[in-house]
Amino acid sequence: MKLELRNLSHSYDVEVIHDLNFILENYKSIAIIGVSGSGKSTLIRLMSGLEKPSIGNIFINDKSVDDIEYKQHVGFVFQNHNLFPHLSLKRNITLILEKTREKTKEEAESIAIKYLHMLHLETQVNKLPKNVSGGQAQRASIARALSIDPKIIYLDEPTASLDPILTHEVLTAVEELKGLGKEFVFVTHVLSFVRDFADYVIFMHDGLIYEHGTPEILDKPKTIQLSEFMRKVR
Amino acid sequence: MDLNSTSMNKLKSFLAYFFAISTIIAFIAYVAIKQASDFSLEPFYIYRFMIFDGIKNTILVSLISLVGSLIVGFILYLLQISKIKYFKALIDVFTEIIYGTPLLVLIIVMAFLIGPAFNSYQRNFFGVLALIVYMSPYMTNVYKSAFSSISEEQYLAMDLFGFTSFQRYRYIIIPQVVRILMPPLMNNFSMIIKGSALLNLISYNELYFVINVAQSRTFAFVEGYILMWVLYLLITIPLSQLTKFVERKWAL
Repeated sequence: MKLELRNLSHSYDVEVIHDLNFILENYKSIAIIGVSGSGKSTLIRLMSGLEKPSIGNIFINDKSVDDIEYKQHVGFVFQNHNLFPHLSLKRNITLILEKTREKTKEEAESIAIKYLHMLHLETQVNKLPKNVSGGQAQRASIARALSIDPKIIYLDEPTASLDPILTHEVLTAVEELKGLGKEFVFVTHVLSFVRDFADYVIFMHDGLIYEHGTPEILDKPKTIQLSEFMRKVR
Repeated sequence: MDLNSTSMNKLKSFLAYFFAISTIIAFIAYVAIKQASDFSLEPFYIYRFMIFDGIKNTILVSLISLVGSLIVGFILYLLQISKIKYFKALIDVFTEIIYGTPLLVLIIVMAFLIGPAFNSYQRNFFGVLALIVYMSPYMTNVYKSAFSSISEEQYLAMDLFGFTSFQRYRYIIIPQVVRILMPPLMNNFSMIIKGSALLNLISYNELYFVINVAQSRTFAFVEGYILMWVLYLLITIPLSQLTKFVERKWAL
């Protein structure tokens, strides 16, 4: 994918992203890392079009992230699964396909089943989110993101609220998706996953991109900030 | 082993409830037999149709008040979240006043002061209106907590997938709100049923009033009060059990 940030700034109460200019091409799996408050979650939300930047623009594959066509093909996985709590895992997917993607009931059903199976949730399809484990719910939310046939899937700390065993379970499931030909952008604190899965790493600190490059930059940090980060995360 | 211990537990809690209920019945029976005359419900037998009517009216007036307070409560909720400060202030002041007023006083004020001030002597109407007004702020709170329980993140997800506003309400917001709303709503219904007993003040033919009438004809006051008490419990306890069931079944 091609990613371009132009004069990008974003503020909530204070500015959290400071005038980023950045171009990146030909990578399929991009990790954004950094400490809490570094602006990484904000960046991924802006890239996905979930939020509008205060200043500047983002282009993904030469399309502005405001573009309706682009938005139709964005998959997003939230920190905690964020499934609709009153709907079964399957209905969480079919509702979206039927109402916003003009699929028939049967098509929606078969797509939902396909992706829930892909994420090993065969036996859980009719359960409510509260009746499955955190890892299962998060996998269902990955299935939901896949079901709309996205080109790019954004994952915003998908394992932040899970224990190590469930984290492993979810990340393994994500790694299995490599063959689908999708592109991934993800925020995570799990460095082993970054090394295994990312082909490019962006390190953010205080709303700026401090370092970026292939995952090898993790082993030879050039800035104090990244080496500090590596020390803390480990 | 596991199965045995769960069925053992069930048996234990069944026995516990059985003895607890027996204790209460024994207490009521003790109170009944300690009265001067012999306890007998027979004098009320000929008034049974009147009493059924009273029960019917109690339920009817409670249902009307429930629906009324649901509607008024929703309007208050909308005013409270509106951007116009005056509305918000008005609702705050109104809520404080209602919270500070005994239902008994509100019924009297409504039926004997506010009604006549608008040239209306429809006491029944104003009595029911008092119940509705009294319950509305409670309903507003129920709405407030139900709507606030839908997280920001869920709204983000709705944005992400591109649901229209109609679809959001129809498929995502309202189904959740109804589930969250139901148990406190049923609790409020129980409050309304109990509160409706005060409508006897304005001679509305509800359960308390009709039994009062029957008492004054039979002179069986003790039996009347006990009958009245038990009849209220026969309405409210199944309701509260149903509430608990719905709460368990529909929790999100």
